[in-house]
Amino acid sequence: MELVIDKVSMRFKDKKAVSNISLKLTPGVWRLLGANVAGKTTLMRIIAGILKPTSGQVLYDGVPIRTLGEEYRALFGYLPQEFGFPQEFTVKDYLIYVAALKGMTKRQGRKRIHELLEQVSLLEVRNRKIARLSGGMKRRVGIAQALLNDPEVLVLDEPTGGLDPGERVRFRNLLSEFVHDRIVLISTHIVPDVEYIAGCHAMIREGKLLASGTTEELVRLVEGKVWTCTVPAQAVAEYERRLRIVSLRNEHDGSVSVRYLAKKPCNDHSAAAVSRLEDLYLWMFPQSGGADRKKSSRKQAVSGNL
Amino acid sequence: MKILQMELRRMMKTRLTWGLLALALLLSALLAYLPVTYCYSSYTDEEGNEIHLSGLKSIAHEKERQANASGIVTPERVREAVETYQACLAAYGVTESYDLPEGVYEREILPIVPLLHGVKEAFADPDTGMAPALMEIDPERIDDYDSVCEARIAALMALEQPDHPAVQRKAAEMYRQVERPFKVYPGMSSVIMDYQNIMGFLVLLFCVVIAAPVFSADYQSGADDILRCTRHGRRRLGVAKVLAALLVSGVSFVLCAAVYILIADSLFGWECLRTSVQMMYSIVTLADLDVGGLQFLFTAAGLLSVLASVSFTLFLSAGCKSTVASLSSALVFGILPVVVSMAVPGALSTWLCCVLPASGTSIQASILYAITDFQFLNLGGLAVWTPYAMIGTCVVEIPLFSFLAVWSYCGHAGK
Ligand SMILES: Nc1ncnc2c1ncn2[C@@H]1O[C@H](COP(=O)(O)OP(=O)(O)O)[C@@H](O)[C@H]1O
Ligand SMILES: [Mg+2]
Repeated sequence: MELVIDKVSMRFKDKKAVSNISLKLTPGVWRLLGANVAGKTTLMRIIAGILKPTSGQVLYDGVPIRTLGEEYRALFGYLPQEFGFPQEFTVKDYLIYVAALKGMTKRQGRKRIHELLEQVSLLEVRNRKIARLSGGMKRRVGIAQALLNDPEVLVLDEPTGGLDPGERVRFRNLLSEFVHDRIVLISTHIVPDVEYIAGCHAMIREGKLLASGTTEELVRLVEGKVWTCTVPAQAVAEYERRLRIVSLRNEHDGSVSVRYLAKKPCNDHSAAAVSRLEDLYLWMFPQSGGADRKKSSRKQAVSGNL
Repeated sequence: MKILQMELRRMMKTRLTWGLLALALLLSALLAYLPVTYCYSSYTDEEGNEIHLSGLKSIAHEKERQANASGIVTPERVREAVETYQACLAAYGVTESYDLPEGVYEREILPIVPLLHGVKEAFADPDTGMAPALMEIDPERIDDYDSVCEARIAALMALEQPDHPAVQRKAAEMYRQVERPFKVYPGMSSVIMDYQNIMGFLVLLFCVVIAAPVFSADYQSGADDILRCTRHGRRRLGVAKVLAALLVSGVSFVLCAAVYILIADSLFGWECLRTSVQMMYSIVTLADLDVGGLQFLFTAAGLLSVLASVSFTLFLSAGCKSTVASLSSALVFGILPVVVSMAVPGALSTWLCCVLPASGTSIQASILYAITDFQFLNLGGLAVWTPYAMIGTCVVEIPLFSFLAVWSYCGHAGK
């Protein structure tokens, strides 16, 4: 089972949203990381078969998904980034409707809907009109519909957007139960988001694929380029201007521990550090300072918004 | 099948659908009753009191007065009626029936009025089309009433379509096929048909309103992205949506038409349905129908027109990103035949009204008026009577626009 994105490009009028991306997705959780407008949503809509790429194609087990059509959609689950619901539906009616569209029998549908409603904690509101639910609840309904048919290919476009921290934890747990032997592609612009359940990562910027692979493979790319050193607090500003800083940590004695990226250490008391994914992102997205983060904010340097 | 069921259920879940359907039924009943309220008659009884009757009482009274006129319209009976008329007016020394003294018209003329229908028209001047007064008609000429009528249609078509001999031939041929002698069963006026037309037009607009958001609402709400990525979310969902909309609107129209016809015909009398259309409309009407047949044909054609309009609306809906856009464009096309029939002159108007899906039961441009009119499309020497053209285009448009709607939905790439 593999999903191959083969030299896919997408052009909107004069704007190239996706440029010549090739990527082979194997079973496991894949994280598609990129800043806003990097082209994540566009790429996912192409994988969902909603958009027809300007060039290139997506193949499932060697067959173009356009050729597979219904067969592909039968094993596909999709949560768009922005979506809505038919106004007239309650949570349960909506899921029954989607289950029918997914070709499930009434019994299969009912059983699975009950299970999922429980897992996304929507059992109590199942008879409420979706239009009346909060944003987080709506997204959970979206997650439930994506999982209804136990898809082999699951595409989730920024699934944690709008979820509160508790909901995020539950979502991660739900997902880690689900992912066995499936291709799951999750997009996010938040660096630590779903980091630990993802075994593979693909990073895109301005529509181009920068790097992809397993965590180990990717971490190797910045091996020997990560350093730490301890500096007096008053010198931090100076260091921030000169170096690409991954993170800062206040030490007990008033000094600050600095983790930074460089081909060579910047002073003789720097020590080589074990590289992590976080370092790679900063390496890959240098001009944004590793993220959309503001350079001066220490907190964001750690929680890193891409 | 299951998806169609789901779609139907989804449609019936919307309050708008229910509200409009209930309103449509109510309006059908109301419109069927409305013509009764216009019925009005007055007469002087034996004691010299002037009696005024309205509504059902007036209908019953007139039916009773005209009971002897009902039945087969033989030339002898028409001649007899004309002679009675002429003798009555001569006796009172007047030339117009409204110059008759009080009560005489009701007593002497009213009972024979149904038989006099169309006589003046049949004897109209072939060159000018001007109808003579009944007093000017030589009763002996009525003995050959059929030839008079056939000469009349020939003259009329020569006047209306001087450049199209094919049309003239076709019309004459159609009129020869009409069953004769005519029949007349008094009590019903063409107002019944006009109101059925209004009923059809309203139901058509309601159906258009129901169908307009079928695709576009999902685009607008963003629900579409999820639905179209499901296994049956493309062609099968598209087909189910189209079928559900056609089914709901078709059933609604049939129900409303049934309510209308049941009420109207019960109020005015079912026997009236056996009246030849020539005894209600022009004496040279080309259709070989009685009023019941006209009612049925009009209902069937109205149904086709509603279905064609709905499939066209669905096609618009599948191509619009918002419900406002699909609703407004669909309503424009729903009302367009009315505008075209009023604002566009000549043959272009005839053509447009035949092609537009909503013209089957539109105000002014409906198939009812096409049946009782003498319009033809000239298709390179081939003369096509407009009702046939209207029905034909609807029959083509229903599958065509349904297909296009599904096709457009399948190819729709959001935002
Ligand atoms: N339908 C569209 N028409 C025109 N431009 C689009 C369309 N969809 C996306 N884009 C453009 O493509 C670029 C990538 O957008 P998107 O895929 O949404 O990025 P991301 O999901 O990573 O934020 C953006 O510049 C966006 O404006
Ligand atoms: Mg996006």
